[in-house]
Amino acid sequence: MDTVIKAFGLVFQFDVMIAVVASAFYGLTVGALPGLSATMATALLVPVTFYLSPIAAIATIITASAMAIFSGDIPGCLLRIPGTPASAAYTDEAYAMTRKGQAETALGICLWFSALGGIAGTLSLMLIAPLLAEMALSFSTYENFWLAMLGLMCSTLVARSSPIKAIAAMLLGLLITCVGIDNPGGVPRFTFGSTDLLGGIEVIPALVGVFALAEVMRSLTERDPPKIENRKLGSILKGQWKLTKEYPKQQTRGNIVGIIIGVLPGAGADMAAWVSYAMAKRFSKTPEKFGTGHPEGLIEAGASNNASLASGWVPALLFGIPGDTITAIAIGVLYMKGLNPGPTLFTSQAESMYALYIIFILGNIIMIPFGIIMIRLASKVVGAPRSAVMPVIMIFCAVGAFATAGNNLFAVWCVAFFGVFGFVMEKNGYPVAAMVLGIVMGTMVEQNFVTSLIKSDGSVLPFFDRPVSSVLAAMTFAALLWPVFSWTRDRLRGRGRVVAA
Amino acid sequence: MQLSDRISGSAIAALGAVAFFYGSKLPPVPGQQVGPSAFPMVVGAGLVICGSLIVFGIGRHFEEVAEADVVSHARPEELEPMAAWRNWLALLPPALLAFYALASETLGFLPTAAVMVLLCSLAFGAKPKLAVPLAIIAPFVINLIFLKLLRVPLPGGILPFPW
Repeated sequence: MDTVIKAFGLVFQFDVMIAVVASAFYGLTVGALPGLSATMATALLVPVTFYLSPIAAIATIITASAMAIFSGDIPGCLLRIPGTPASAAYTDEAYAMTRKGQAETALGICLWFSALGGIAGTLSLMLIAPLLAEMALSFSTYENFWLAMLGLMCSTLVARSSPIKAIAAMLLGLLITCVGIDNPGGVPRFTFGSTDLLGGIEVIPALVGVFALAEVMRSLTERDPPKIENRKLGSILKGQWKLTKEYPKQQTRGNIVGIIIGVLPGAGADMAAWVSYAMAKRFSKTPEKFGTGHPEGLIEAGASNNASLASGWVPALLFGIPGDTITAIAIGVLYMKGLNPGPTLFTSQAESMYALYIIFILGNIIMIPFGIIMIRLASKVVGAPRSAVMPVIMIFCAVGAFATAGNNLFAVWCVAFFGVFGFVMEKNGYPVAAMVLGIVMGTMVEQNFVTSLIKSDGSVLPFFDRPVSSVLAAMTFAALLWPVFSWTRDRLRGRGRVVAA
Repeated sequence: MQLSDRISGSAIAALGAVAFFYGSKLPPVPGQQVGPSAFPMVVGAGLVICGSLIVFGIGRHFEEVAEADVVSHARPEELEPMAAWRNWLALLPPALLAFYALASETLGFLPTAAVMVLLCSLAFGAKPKLAVPLAIIAPFVINLIFLKLLRVPLPGGILPFPW
C-alpha cells in the first residue's frame, strides 16, 4: 500500500499534470490530422521527453499515444480517411454511419469504447506483468534470444506485404545495429573510418526519419484530402450506455483480443483492430449489416485497438521487447530515463510501475472530456492546411533529433538519410515498422545470441533443448513458416482472394 | 522511386554478401570461438537468402492481396497516378534537412528554419500570403519552446534569439 501512495505522489505533481494535459491535446491533434500517425506523434515527442523528469516523460508518451489512437477515428468517421493506420480497419463502417446521419453516435462509440478498452488493457497490464515477471526471472540468454526473435518474426507477419520483404526489412534493421563499437569484441564495425559512426546509429534519429520525415515526403506526392463539411453534431455520449448494455459480448471480446495481440511481441494496435473487426463480423448474428453503418464491428475493433496499447507494454517492460512501434519508442524513453526494462523493474522500481498504471487509467479517463472537445473542434483541426502543418513537422524532425543527440549535427544527417531510406522502402513494399523493430532490438538480439553461443562453446543444441526455449523456438519457426502455409491453403482453395477481389 | 523487385532484391542480396565478407574479416576475441563477426555474418547470410527470393518473385502473391485490398478501400480519384515530378519533389524535405546540417551553425537557427519552412510550405502549394508569415512565426515559436521550456540552446549564428 505504501508504494501505491508513493506512486500517487509521483503522478500528482505539477510537472506531470502539465505534461499529461499538454500531450493529450498534442496527441489528439496529431492523430486527427490525416496522414499523421500515432507513431509519428510519439516519435516527435521523444526529444521533448529527454528534458522531462522520468515520470513526466513516460506520462507524455502514454497519454499522447492513447489520444492519438482514438482521435485517428475522427477523420475516419467524417472523411473516410483513417487518421492513423489503427483506425483503417473500421473506417468504412464509421463513415457509413456518418452518411446515415449518425456521425455523433459513430464518434461516440469510438470515444467511449476506446476509453473502456484502454482501461481494460491497463487492468490486464497490472495483472499479467507481475505474474510474468516471476517467470521471466528464470529466463536465461537462450529464452531471451528466442523471445526477441519471436517478436521480430511477429512484426514481419503483421506487415500487410510480402513476408520475405518484411524479413529483409527486419534484417536490414539488425544490420544497422551492427554499426559501431558496441559489440562483443569492442571492435569498430562498419564505421568506414568515421568517428561519428563509432558510437553506432542512434535509434531516435532513425525513428524520426522513418516515421516523421518519410511521412512529410510521402504527403508531398499525394493529393490534398477533401474538405470537411461543417456539420452540427448532437450529444456525443448519448446512447452509449445503451450500446454498452446491448453489445457486452462484442466489447469483452474486443478487449480480450486486443489484450492478447498487444501482449504478443511485435503485433500492435493496427493488427488488433483488423482481427477484431473480422471477428465481430464472423461471429455476428447479422453479418450482412457490416459495412452499412452497423455499430457492432465498430465497438469491437474500437475497444480492441486501445486495449492493445496498454497490454503492449507487458513485453516492453519485462523484456525490452516492443509490442509495436509505439512501445518500441517507449522502450527508448525507458532506457533514457534509467528505467531499464527487465523483470526486476517490478521490485526495484515498484512505485514507478504503479505510477505508470495510474497514468494509463488517468489518460483513458480524461480521454472522454478531451475527446469531446476535440470532436467539436474537428472541422477546424482536420481541415488545417497541410502546407502549414508539414513544414513545422519537418523543422521538429531536424531540431528534435539534434537536441536528443547532444547537439550533434550528425543526427540531422541520420534523419535525412532514414527519411529517404524509409520513403523508398515503403514505396517498394518493404514495411518500415519491421526495420525499426530490428533497429530497436538488434543490440539485445546480438548480445543474447553471442553470449549463448559462448556459454555453449559454439553449439546450437542448448538453443533447443531447454523446455521454455524449445517452445519459443517452435513458435518462432511457426511464425516463419506461417506464410508458406497460408499460401498453400489459398492455392488449394483455388487462387484465393486476388481473383475474387 | 518505384524499383522493380529484381533491382531491390539484388541490392539487398549484394548488401548481405558485403556484410558477410566484411563480418568474416573482423578480428576474433582471443580465447573465444564466437566474437564480433558472428552476428553480421548471420544477418548477411539472411539478407542474401531474402534478396534472392525477392529477385525470383517469391512472396509477390501476398503483396498482390494487400494491394487489391487497398484498391477496394480507396476512392477512384486517389488511384489516378500523380505526375512523375511529384515523386522527385519528395526529395525536398531531406534536402532541406541537409541544408540545416550544413548551414545552421553559421546562419543560425532562425534564418535557416525560415528558409526551410518557406520552401517546404510553397512545395505543398501554399500561397505566399500563408507561407511568408509562417516562415517568420514558426521558427520563432519553436526556438521559444526549445530555449525556454526545454532549455536547449539552438545555434545562434548571425541572428540569435532576441532574448
